[in-house]
Amino acid sequence: MSDMPSEAPVKSILPTWVRGPQDFVGGLAMMAVAVFALWASSDLQGMHGFSFGAGTAPRMFAVLLLLLGGAVALVGVMRDGPQIAAYSWRGPLFVSAAIVFFAVAIRPLGLVVSAFAAFLIAAMGSHETKWIEAIIVGGCLTLGCALLFPYVLGLPMPMFPRFLIQ
Amino acid sequence: MMSVRSLAGACLSAFAALGAFAVPASAQNYPTRTITMIVPFAAGGPTDVISRIVTAHMAQTLGQSIVIENVVGAGGTTATTRAARAANDGYTLVTGHMGTHAASVPLYPKLAYHPEKDFEPVALLAGTPILILARKDFPPKDLKEFVAYVKANADKVNAAHAGIGSVSHASCELLNSILDVKPVGVPFNGTGPAMNALVAGQVDYMCDQIVNAVPQINAGTIKAYAVATPERNPSLPNVPTTAEAGLPAFQAQAWNAIFAPKGTSPAIIATLNAAANKALDDENVRKRLLELGSVIPAPANRTPEALATLVKNEIAKWTPVLKPAT
Amino acid sequence: MELFANLAHGFAVALSPINLLMCLIGALVGTLVGVLPGIGTIATVAMLLPITFGLPPVGALIMLAGIYYGAQYGGSTTSILVNIPGEATSVVTALDGHQMARQGRAGPALAIAAIGSFFAGCVATVLIAVLGAPLTKLALAFGPAEYFSLMVLGLIFAVVLAKGSVLKAIAMIVFGLLLSMVGSDIETGASRMAFNIPELADGLGFATVAMGVFGFAEIIRNLDAGAEMSRDLVQQKITGLMPTRKDLTDSAPAIVRGTILGSILGILPGGGAVIASFAAYTLEKKIAKDPSRFGRGAIEGVASPESANNAAAQTSFIPLLTLGIPPNAVMALMVGAMTIHGIVPGPQVMVKQPDLVWGMIASMWIGNLMLIIINLPLVGIWVRLLRVPYRLMFPSIVIFCAIGIYSVNNAPVDVVLAGAFGLVGYWLIKHDFEPAPLLLGMVLGPLMEENLRRALLISRGDWSVFLSRPLSAVLLAIAAGLLVLAVLPTLRAKRDEVFVESEG
Repeated sequence: MSDMPSEAPVKSILPTWVRGPQDFVGGLAMMAVAVFALWASSDLQGMHGFSFGAGTAPRMFAVLLLLLGGAVALVGVMRDGPQIAAYSWRGPLFVSAAIVFFAVAIRPLGLVVSAFAAFLIAAMGSHETKWIEAIIVGGCLTLGCALLFPYVLGLPMPMFPRFLIQ
Repeated sequence: MMSVRSLAGACLSAFAALGAFAVPASAQNYPTRTITMIVPFAAGGPTDVISRIVTAHMAQTLGQSIVIENVVGAGGTTATTRAARAANDGYTLVTGHMGTHAASVPLYPKLAYHPEKDFEPVALLAGTPILILARKDFPPKDLKEFVAYVKANADKVNAAHAGIGSVSHASCELLNSILDVKPVGVPFNGTGPAMNALVAGQVDYMCDQIVNAVPQINAGTIKAYAVATPERNPSLPNVPTTAEAGLPAFQAQAWNAIFAPKGTSPAIIATLNAAANKALDDENVRKRLLELGSVIPAPANRTPEALATLVKNEIAKWTPVLKPAT
Repeated sequence: MELFANLAHGFAVALSPINLLMCLIGALVGTLVGVLPGIGTIATVAMLLPITFGLPPVGALIMLAGIYYGAQYGGSTTSILVNIPGEATSVVTALDGHQMARQGRAGPALAIAAIGSFFAGCVATVLIAVLGAPLTKLALAFGPAEYFSLMVLGLIFAVVLAKGSVLKAIAMIVFGLLLSMVGSDIETGASRMAFNIPELADGLGFATVAMGVFGFAEIIRNLDAGAEMSRDLVQQKITGLMPTRKDLTDSAPAIVRGTILGSILGILPGGGAVIASFAAYTLEKKIAKDPSRFGRGAIEGVASPESANNAAAQTSFIPLLTLGIPPNAVMALMVGAMTIHGIVPGPQVMVKQPDLVWGMIASMWIGNLMLIIINLPLVGIWVRLLRVPYRLMFPSIVIFCAIGIYSVNNAPVDVVLAGAFGLVGYWLIKHDFEPAPLLLGMVLGPLMEENLRRALLISRGDWSVFLSRPLSAVLLAIAAGLLVLAVLPTLRAKRDEVFVESEG
């Protein structure tokens, strides 16, 4: 967030006439989303008679978003605004990796393996992590989840790797 | 860091080994572990309730528990696709119904499975009759008047349905094609909201499964013209059949049946079919199914072969009626 | 008095030891479900249905009802503590609730949420008992045109609840509306923007997007270099656990207003309950002397929506109990539970099943009492949980969210999508876009579009229905008024820049 003083803003690579890079890039990205949505909904049927058709509402909102994105970008040109905040790579990378690993592993490997491994992968996302502590807490948490979700809440979930059960 | 890496390595190698570990299931001592029954609709719906009632009894017969896994989506086709791709070892089954194993063929041209080619029929469980319903102050008094009225006012009447691919949608399309009318179809998200609109008089008529409609009919908040089965239903003794009321062409039932992935061994199919048959003969199971307004198939119609014929006939019946939803 | 006889009968049913136990189990499981991010009430009620096979029907339904409204209590907890709303109804609670937690006031926020919910639950229960039958008319008076207008009003609420730029808030609503278009078209069944991904065929789940843009994005943001300081600060300065006298006097009128709004909106099947908490928040912000406090830890911003969502959770039973028509997915499951027990609910359920209906109504009051007794002492535990070092807390939240999302549909793709929305949310934070309007747009989008199309189908394309039907016209007028109120201050404050903004 922009109100975080310790975050060093990235040096702007944008031309100097962009006075509020945060809004400018934000607006452009919204426009890109809108254009993508327009493309994705282009094959859908529009209005016919009094029936709305599948494509009308998505295209309407996409055009609206295109205009709004343009307006946000324009504000970024016309008005002084904050720089684009710095991104870090470590948190996003490992948290995403943990999520993806969990998604891929839950069916074949079961809750116990995937939850524990995902915990450790996520833990790599912080440089504060102490490994022994993380392994102990991760283990306890996995055990807790293995009891809580299938038994207390009755959610059907594979527990252990599939090849061990068969 | 080391421990994490070695763990990740172990996971990866385990992952790779998965294929190699698939042990062929022996049909002689089937079942030796829990069976998963995929139900392609939400828990609490008619298909789910019927599946649960029958599988609870089947589990006793088979000596193994049967876990119901509700997988919702795309008119049940998401779950059915998953079932079609599951191992054909008899441990993954699916409760199919009129929508997933017949109406889906014309509705979804890009369907990832074919009801006949990708499944082994196991057993027909129950049929749920379809009713022709209307708001309580809809002018026609009986089915004959209804037919005349709808034909005369085809551009004015509104037919509600519970969403594309739903039983109420398919059966309403069938009715419309028989009457040769094209009323405006008003789509709702499920039978609850559609029924609400009918009770409130916002729409004129709809076709729906008997279980949702009986209490409303009895309370007089909506009216029923006919039931689309050969015989009257015990829960609505005063509602005539479509044949009695003068529209014999309109016959529709939402049926539920168990299917197994293609290639499941005949011995396993026979075991499951016997268990399903035993369940359908159980007095308690029958009582609960009848309470739902369901029709329990006669023993001759419960064989896998009979189910295969039913699927074939149903696909032939729905294909000309339903147009693809692209 | 028939009412008292009925209520006495209801309490006699609800106070039997087995039903008390069921009510307690329901309240406990509901709290747990609400607290765990991602696990929705629908999934849990669905999973617990088979367990209720073996129970007497009244006990089973008392338990399921307890889970439903218990989750409303628990849902505020994760919103306040870790900024993860598990249900659409607790999105707005996160706005001010989490800010209070950051200021060390998690205790008062949690406590006021519980107190507000209790008050709202009690009032709404009485309302069901006294006015349930007449209020049913309201549920039937709402047709597609009225729902469309109500949803338009709901979208205006989303503009008002933004604390930053109105322009960016509107852009986020439209982004949310676009996301809600993914899936199957209701009228033709055509697949819209789903790219042949089967898991997208029914659209993006609310939990998936909410866990992403709130939960995962918040975690990723907190892991940024330099974010430790503000995080640790939260842990250091936890002040009192219970609300102060000033907190209580500030919240009391907000709780009453939230309860009234929630009770009315809850009766409407098909989306009324969803916008109850948004409406309550908007009302508080509009009538506050200093609206700028909202979004920065105003206790009314927690008290009012929490009361509203709990009141709505209670009154949403009215259509079920008087018409036999389930107004939402959880209620549809309860109908399923009833059919499994051989009771098919209909308009005569009150007459035919007095044990069930009045027992359930009485149990709601008892359940609310249990919930406040459970929840107030828990406040201390939850607040202590904030002291867990973040390096251990964040992987735990990731795991809970991942399991929660997976459990909704048993679909691994949902988990991956939530991760992707986490990155989107991180980007949005970096560009100062607020996620709350996006979620509201996503929830209301389908309701708005579907009802618009239904209304136009029924009217044969005549747009005047929205103005010729009185209820619909009133709702649209309120929406227009609110929009003017929301935009005017911006216009007045920056008259010179307005020209620029409207040019786009």
